Amino acid sequence: MSRYVIKFSKEGYIKFISHLDMLRLFKRSFKRAGIKLQYSQGFNPHPKMSFAQPLSLGYTSSCEYLEFETMESHSTEEIRRLLESMMPEGVEIIKCEELAAEGKALAALTEEASYEIRIPVKDITKLKNPSTLAEDYLSRESITIKKLQKKSRKEIEINIRPMIKSLKSIVDNNNIMLNARLSAGSTENLSPEILLSTFCKFADIDYDRADIQLNRTGIYFIDEFIKI
Amino acid sequence: MTIQEKLDKLFLRVEKPARYIGGELHTIKKDPFGVSTRFGFAFPDTYEIGMSYLGLQIIYHLLNKLDYVYCERVFAPALDMDGFMKVEGIPLFTLETKSPVQEMDILGFTLQYELSFSNVIHMLELGDIPLRSKDRDHSYPFIAAGGPCAYNPEPLADVMDFFMIGDGEELLIEVCEAHKNWKVSGRGKDAFLEDISQIKGVYVPKFYQPVYSEDGTIKEIQKLSDRAPDLVEKRIIEDLDQADFPENTIVPFIEVVHDRAVAEIFRGCTRGCRFCQAGMIYRPVRERSKEKIKEIATNQLHSTGHEELSILSLSTSDYSEIEPLVEELMSVCKDNNVSLSLPSLRLDSFSFKVLQEIQGYKKSGLTFAPEAGTQRLRNVINKSITDEDIYGAVEKAIELGWNNIKLYFMMGLPTETYEDLDGIAEIAKNITDINYKVTGKRGGRFNVTISISNFVPKAHTPFQWVPQDTVESFREKHRYLKEKLKSIKGVSFQYHDTDPSQMEAVFARGDRRVCNALIKAVELGCKFDGWREHFKYDLWKRAFQETGIDPDFYTYRERNLDEVLPWDLIDAGISKEFLISENKKATEGIQTQDCRKGCVGCGINRKVTCSREGTL
Repeated sequence: MSRYVIKFSKEGYIKFISHLDMLRLFKRSFKRAGIKLQYSQGFNPHPKMSFAQPLSLGYTSSCEYLEFETMESHSTEEIRRLLESMMPEGVEIIKCEELAAEGKALAALTEEASYEIRIPVKDITKLKNPSTLAEDYLSRESITIKKLQKKSRKEIEINIRPMIKSLKSIVDNNNIMLNARLSAGSTENLSPEILLSTFCKFADIDYDRADIQLNRTGIYFIDEFIKI
Repeated sequence: MTIQEKLDKLFLRVEKPARYIGGELHTIKKDPFGVSTRFGFAFPDTYEIGMSYLGLQIIYHLLNKLDYVYCERVFAPALDMDGFMKVEGIPLFTLETKSPVQEMDILGFTLQYELSFSNVIHMLELGDIPLRSKDRDHSYPFIAAGGPCAYNPEPLADVMDFFMIGDGEELLIEVCEAHKNWKVSGRGKDAFLEDISQIKGVYVPKFYQPVYSEDGTIKEIQKLSDRAPDLVEKRIIEDLDQADFPENTIVPFIEVVHDRAVAEIFRGCTRGCRFCQAGMIYRPVRERSKEKIKEIATNQLHSTGHEELSILSLSTSDYSEIEPLVEELMSVCKDNNVSLSLPSLRLDSFSFKVLQEIQGYKKSGLTFAPEAGTQRLRNVINKSITDEDIYGAVEKAIELGWNNIKLYFMMGLPTETYEDLDGIAEIAKNITDINYKVTGKRGGRFNVTISISNFVPKAHTPFQWVPQDTVESFREKHRYLKEKLKSIKGVSFQYHDTDPSQMEAVFARGDRRVCNALIKAVELGCKFDGWREHFKYDLWKRAFQETGIDPDFYTYRERNLDEVLPWDLIDAGISKEFLISENKKATEGIQTQDCRKGCVGCGINRKVTCSREGTL
């Protein structure tokens, strides 16, 4: 049994494929490539394969991670090459690395993720201090949002400020470009959608969600995890 | 903004945008300007339904093998997308190149069910294409149709430039070849239609004109072109092993209705159920060899990575080498770590052995299709299953641990009485009794589902002359049976809505005049009629009223055996004498044997060699 991780990008129309459909795509691709995955035991065996972080439908990404266990050992370059040839337009397999057989799952190691967000603005001159928007947004002690708790159905207030690790904004023609690094993973997670809506509200930007482009630029793991 | 740019924005607003993006595994990329024939294959329903249709895969690959043709796919956008497209001014487009359908040379619709006709009209509207053939000049594509509903082409005769009847594998290639030649010739549109009217299987409606009698029936069908054939014969592929069958099938990104590899094992059916159009129009039975099926299955699994394999035919168990075939496929599946699904299996001891093996502890429901509640009525419709067959199989199934039994029946069959409905309830009751006998328990998780569909008489069947049951009668019968079944514990009841069945009946046996009502209905907002939540009966009623068409004329009227029927100029291969004789035998309650046991003289052997011919 061997354990690997691949890094891949997702661009173009393929961004309209959901997380679950990506899983199915990889499942079929391994089959076609003749790479036999290890299956879980039990009544409903499924291949041992998972993403470090789910990616929402509509997001592009330059760094997605998929880990999986195979029955036989392969060279990492062979896996990369085989999978690359199976991928639809828009998915590029950038790298493949072998992982320690008994390591923690990448999902459990994920700590932060970074995003690039492009927000078209109708009239940039109407914005107050467009050059310092990010600093002004972050300068507040707390940024609270209301969230409905799943179990109790109670509305609670959450301060998202600590979950924003960094935020930069630049004005690019008629766009505001945001570079954000946010908490991600099972312990603490901030969706870039929340950042986007609170930011636009703060900056008084009127926006149509369908006009906004979101690209995941990085996923960061706890510890000195193998940099791939 | 180009279509592409507009679409990019729209895709973020709609549900399941992957329905519209194309680019799936095994889709074909070509330079649309480098071919002589751009063919739009249109399925008048959503992506998930269209992509589950094997015919699409066959045609897509065989046309794209031709270097001078580019076949692209077109589906009906779901309602959310549909609305946005209208607002944004985006015309109906192909998935492969996002081209407006207007840019196609031929736009071919597959007609799988009558209730999709409104979507055909609606899709033309979305493509900014005039609905009627006579209103389209040379700047528009040829609009064509094929598939089972093309066997009565008349409701869409004013819309379509031509129909293709029967197996498409050779026919489509001949039509595209004719198109290529016509295109370089620089002649007018009609010249192309005249050319292809010489191809066997092509029906060009504008070359014929029905003349009506005062009572509204057809007096005669006049031919308006000397070159057009007197009868349009369906095309038949004689040897399935030689026929093109795709191994590189398109694999959708999203889940579709049938998400699996599939091999067609035979075409046609020998059973001769009198209500069944497929059983009549797909004759003769032609089997694909076991070796070829295995080869297709293996290669398709390899090239697609599918997790499930299924086989396709009208009646799986009738395949002559079914036991060795299934055993070999089971081993193919085991090797590839995929599951096997065997639809329409007759439940004999072999099937149980197989089902035990492939389903194991995960038992799906078992399904029977007795179609009628009494032996008398089953004799009328020529359905050979008996009560004993059902009870025997059910007992065995319960012993093996199945606890979901589903039974399909039809309501409104010719000669049906309330005794036949009592028969349905009795079968349900007896099955629950068998469960009690075997398990010693009543109720619990054991469930019998009685599923009722409403009989719709179809063209080219022995019942093509009979009246459909009335809406009122259907309602009363549903109510009656529901009441009867209520008192039996562990039995659930499902039935189809009556109104859509009535619409289906109008178009199944309609003539050219019903087209006006169809177009009107779409104008009023009808589409996706096959979807219960979208069917709008009040609009249909209005459409008929406003166009002065009486649906009852098509549904409730008994036709004389010598009446000229709208689809009479389509020759489906079986003889009218056979249909009449079957119709008479039905009235007398006499069964006709399965022609695997000996030829019954349906007449298909006049057209091709039939493996049953001369057998007695």
